[in-house]
Amino acid sequence: MKIGPYTFPDDLYYDREHNWARVDGQTVTQGLTDFGQAIAGEIIYIETPRVGREVKQGEAFMSMESGKWVGRVRAMVGGRIVAANDALEFDSTLVNSDPYGAGWLARIDMADPADLGRLMRASDPAFAEFIAAERAKYQK
Amino acid sequence: MDLYLLGSVSWLDSQLIYHALPRLGLEGLILLWPESPYVCIGYHQDAEQEVDLSYCRACGIPVFRREVGGGAVYLDGEQVFYQLVLRRTHPLVQGSKEALYRRLLEPVVLTLHDLGLAAGYKPVNDILVGGRKISGNGAGEIADSVVLVGNVILDFNYEMMVRVLRVPDEKFRDKVHKSLQENLTTLRRELGSAPDRARVQELLVRRFSEVLGPLTPRPLPEEVRLEAHRLAEERFSDAWLLRRGMRLPVRRVRIAAGRQVVQSVHKAAGGLIRATTEVADGRFVSVDLSGDFFFYPPRALDELASHLVGTPCCDAESTIAAFYATKGIESPGVTPGDLAKVLSMLR
Repeated sequence: MKIGPYTFPDDLYYDREHNWARVDGQTVTQGLTDFGQAIAGEIIYIETPRVGREVKQGEAFMSMESGKWVGRVRAMVGGRIVAANDALEFDSTLVNSDPYGAGWLARIDMADPADLGRLMRASDPAFAEFIAAERAKYQK
Repeated sequence: MDLYLLGSVSWLDSQLIYHALPRLGLEGLILLWPESPYVCIGYHQDAEQEVDLSYCRACGIPVFRREVGGGAVYLDGEQVFYQLVLRRTHPLVQGSKEALYRRLLEPVVLTLHDLGLAAGYKPVNDILVGGRKISGNGAGEIADSVVLVGNVILDFNYEMMVRVLRVPDEKFRDKVHKSLQENLTTLRRELGSAPDRARVQELLVRRFSEVLGPLTPRPLPEEVRLEAHRLAEERFSDAWLLRRGMRLPVRRVRIAAGRQVVQSVHKAAGGLIRATTEVADGRFVSVDLSGDFFFYPPRALDELASHLVGTPCCDAESTIAAFYATKGIESPGVTPGDLAKVLSMLR
């Protein structure tokens, strides 16, 4: 789905922190949306999480820096981190150039699929409303 | 909103208190200055790469890693710090980073106006007087809060700032020093003498209250002191300070918004190329090229460096190629693309 100039693939889940999640069985791959990377600007560094760490849904577990601003990335689901995108250490702008592909952030072995119920789909009317409000807030 | 007028505090408290407030879910504006100097690095920086830790240790200058962004800075009591902690849901921190900085730095700009200076905001987070930075700022999320930290520079020890940085060579250090002198100013330089810190504090309070609403002076709660004390053990450890941060193939010292001094190195087939440059708003301000490669005719490399000054960084390859064609340059194993590559690393 396209909302304005921004792409939101239909097969993904979304939260209100501008993250996306791709679900493959129990494994959830998380990244920053096209809109999220646009409002962040050029990302100069991403601190990736330690594999094996347990996180709760909504817990800050990564950080990224752009424009002398350190922002936190919150886990979309609870569980154990099984992979982090180490390529970002060498080229953090992959998040800007390919947010749904090479710019993925981390993979989490989901503890409770009920967490997905608290996320949105691109087709949800509430999601379109949320993005419209965010675009107005950021004038994007 | 709560206002904490702390005056002169230990260098460690000058950092820990604003880290403690958000962990306790408290909002507030803190104004203070450190009683002794220290070096403070950005959250993602690599201390060993950015700071001459041996020199700092030998001089008894502590080094601290903060949880907000930006680069290494030398801080002392000649700077009045403002530290604003607001919950992520606070209306003043909504929207783009630039809008947030502009909104929250307006009180600082107006404070400088009150002192008789024609200060202005320069995106993304600097305040300039006569084109020179007079206030440095950084921000970030800590727990469920947004924290903005910055300073009004009354006076500045340029020599120590340059000395505490780890630099590739003395030539680079000289360039950083010169650029800092030219692009960072102080109240003392602008006014002839530095105003009293209490006067600056009083003006900041008045101007911040216009944006934040009524400010109520309060003593620092005991729970904040306890949390700061708890954080001190963790944040004053080598494990925290020396954790791996971003390691770049270039050495970069940011002077002000849009202006930086950078050294980069590229290994071409014909030898090693080193570029030390100053870049401002996407154009070369100064360029120094050197290395162990051959470049004919003699002195043409210096001419090329001079030729690049004032040109857009993004046009480096075409500018260099045109120079090669005009001057009949021969540089075995080093192409215009190689020289452009070392310069493109300055981005």
